Amino acid sequence: MKIVVAYKWAPNPQDAEVAPDGSVDWSRAKGAVSEYDPVAFEAARQLADATGGEVVGLTVGAASVDSPLARKAALSRGLDRLVVVADDRLADADGTRLAAVLAAAVRSIGDVDLVLAGDSSVDVAEGQVPMTLAGQLGWLGMAAVSGVTPSADGVVVERDLPGGITTLALTGPAVLAVTTDAVVPRVPGMKDILGAAKKPVEVVPLDALEVPDVVAATTLSGSRPETGNRRGVIIDGADASSAAAELVAALRTARAL
Amino acid sequence: MNVSTQTWIVVADDPAVSGLVTTARGLGGAVSAVVVGRKSVADSVARAGVDEVLWLGEPGDGAPVEAYAGEVARVLAEAGAAPLAVVGATTPAGRALLGAVAARFQVPVLAGLRGATLEGDAVVVERSVLGGIAERRVQVVGGPSVLAVAAGGVTDEGTAAAVREVPAQPLGAARVTDVRVKEQTGVDLGAARAVVAVGRGLKAQADLDLITDLAAAAGAELACSRPLAEGVDWVAKERYIGISGQHIAPELYVAVGISGQLQHMVGVRDAKVVVAINSDKAAPVFAQCDYGIVGDLYEVVPALAAALRAGS
Repeated sequence: MKIVVAYKWAPNPQDAEVAPDGSVDWSRAKGAVSEYDPVAFEAARQLADATGGEVVGLTVGAASVDSPLARKAALSRGLDRLVVVADDRLADADGTRLAAVLAAAVRSIGDVDLVLAGDSSVDVAEGQVPMTLAGQLGWLGMAAVSGVTPSADGVVVERDLPGGITTLALTGPAVLAVTTDAVVPRVPGMKDILGAAKKPVEVVPLDALEVPDVVAATTLSGSRPETGNRRGVIIDGADASSAAAELVAALRTARAL
Repeated sequence: MNVSTQTWIVVADDPAVSGLVTTARGLGGAVSAVVVGRKSVADSVARAGVDEVLWLGEPGDGAPVEAYAGEVARVLAEAGAAPLAVVGATTPAGRALLGAVAARFQVPVLAGLRGATLEGDAVVVERSVLGGIAERRVQVVGGPSVLAVAAGGVTDEGTAAAVREVPAQPLGAARVTDVRVKEQTGVDLGAARAVVAVGRGLKAQADLDLITDLAAAAGAELACSRPLAEGVDWVAKERYIGISGQHIAPELYVAVGISGQLQHMVGVRDAKVVVAINSDKAAPVFAQCDYGIVGDLYEVVPALAAALRAGS
C-alpha cells in the first residue's frame, strides 16, 4: 500500500500580529509541521508497517516549505521519502489552488492508494483542503476520521460524526482527514532525526506538474476584528465584596443573569 | 426566474439547513437545493424556503454521503445557467461536497462567513480568516462564489417546493458497516447561556475549584484560554476558547485571569455581555469588556460567587 501524507509547513497564528487594516505580521511566528498533521504521519506509518507499504510525505507551498529544518521535521516523523513542491508563486495560494497542486503531485507520484492529512491546518483552520484535494482527484474524501486500521481487503475507517461513531470498509482510493483522536503521534527521537538526513527528497518544479487554472478570490479590503466595542465599565476590586455586589447588580440590570 | 442569479445550496443528508437557506436567500433570486441522502431529508429541505429540490436518490449499499460529492458538482455544472453562488455547511460531509464543487469549477471555498451580499452582479463576501484574527472583504470573479456556513437548524416555511429525483452514481470506494450512537461525554459550550473562563492568572491547578464554584454559582459552563488547555493541560481541550478552539456567543462570558489577546477574544466576540476579572489594570481585556473588576482573582472570584448566591 502506498500512502501519501499531505502535510503543511505553517506558522502559528497565536504568534501573529494583526494591524488595523487586517494585514498580518508573521515575523514572530516560526514555521512548523502544522499542529494537527503529526497524527496523519503516525497513522500512515502504522498502516504501512502493518501492510508492508510505503509512506511518502508531500507538501506544497512557498519556497520556505523546503528549508533544511522543514525537511528534517517531516522526515523524522516516519516517512520513507519526501516530495516537495516549493515555489513562491504559491505563497498566497488559496486552498483550491493548493489542492490542485497537491492533486497533480499525487498523480505524478503514481499508484497512490491513500492520502492522509490532518483534519485542519494551524493557520487557515478551515479543514477544507483535504476535501478539495479529494474533489480534484475525483476520489472519496472523508473528514473527521478517528481511526484507520488495516483489514484483509483494504482499510477499516472509523469516523466520529454527529450521527454516531461510523465504521466503514474502504476498498478504493481516498483522502482521509484524521482527527487528533486517531493515534498518538510519536515524538521524534535522536535516531529519527539523524535518520531523516539519509532519506530521499524529491523536489518537483511547479512547472513540471499539470495544474489547472484556479480562480483566486479578489481581496477588496481587510480589517482587524472588532472585539473592543463594549461598555467598558471598570470597577475597582480593592474591596472584593463591594465590587462583586456592584457587578452582580449591573449584570442584573443588563439582564445578563 | 432570473437565471443570472441562480443560487444553490448543497445538502449532505442533514435537514438542518436554515443557515444555508438564509445565506442563499440573502443574495436574491431563485434558490435551488441539491440533496444527498434520505428522501425524508429532501422533503424537509423542500419545506425550508427553497424553490426546488434536486434529490440524488436513496443511498444504496452503505455508500457514505461523501461518495456523492462528485455527482453534486456534476449536477451543478450541468444545470444550465452558471451558478452565482453555492452554499454548503461547514460540517465534515458539507466540506466534502463543497470541496468537490470547488474542484469542479476551480474556485476557492470561502469559509468564516460573516456576510454575503449581491452588489451589482457580484457576490461580495465578508469573512473571518486565519481562525478569526483578521477579516477580509472578497469577491470571486470568473466562477461561482462557493460559501461554507454554519448549518443552522431545521425550519418549516409551511409550503413545500417540488422534489425532483436525479439519478446519481456514487463512488464505490467505501461502505458503511456500522453506526453506533455516541455516549454524550463532550461539553457543548456553544449551547451554554453563560460561560466562565480562566487563564494564566490562575496559579495552581488546585485553584480551579474556585473557578468551578463561580461557574456553578453563575449557572455557567467552565472554559479556559489556550495556555491552560495546551500549555499546562489543567482544563480539557474542548473547553478552550480562541482561534483554534471554540468560538461561542453566550449571553454572559466571564474572563478570569485572562489578559485579552486578540487570539482569545475573537472566540467570544459575539458574546452578549463580557466580564473581565484581572489584577493588571493595563490588561487589554479591560478594553474589550462590558464590565471589569480590577483586583486579585483569589479575592474577587469567591466574593462574586457569594454575591451571585446571595441574590438568587
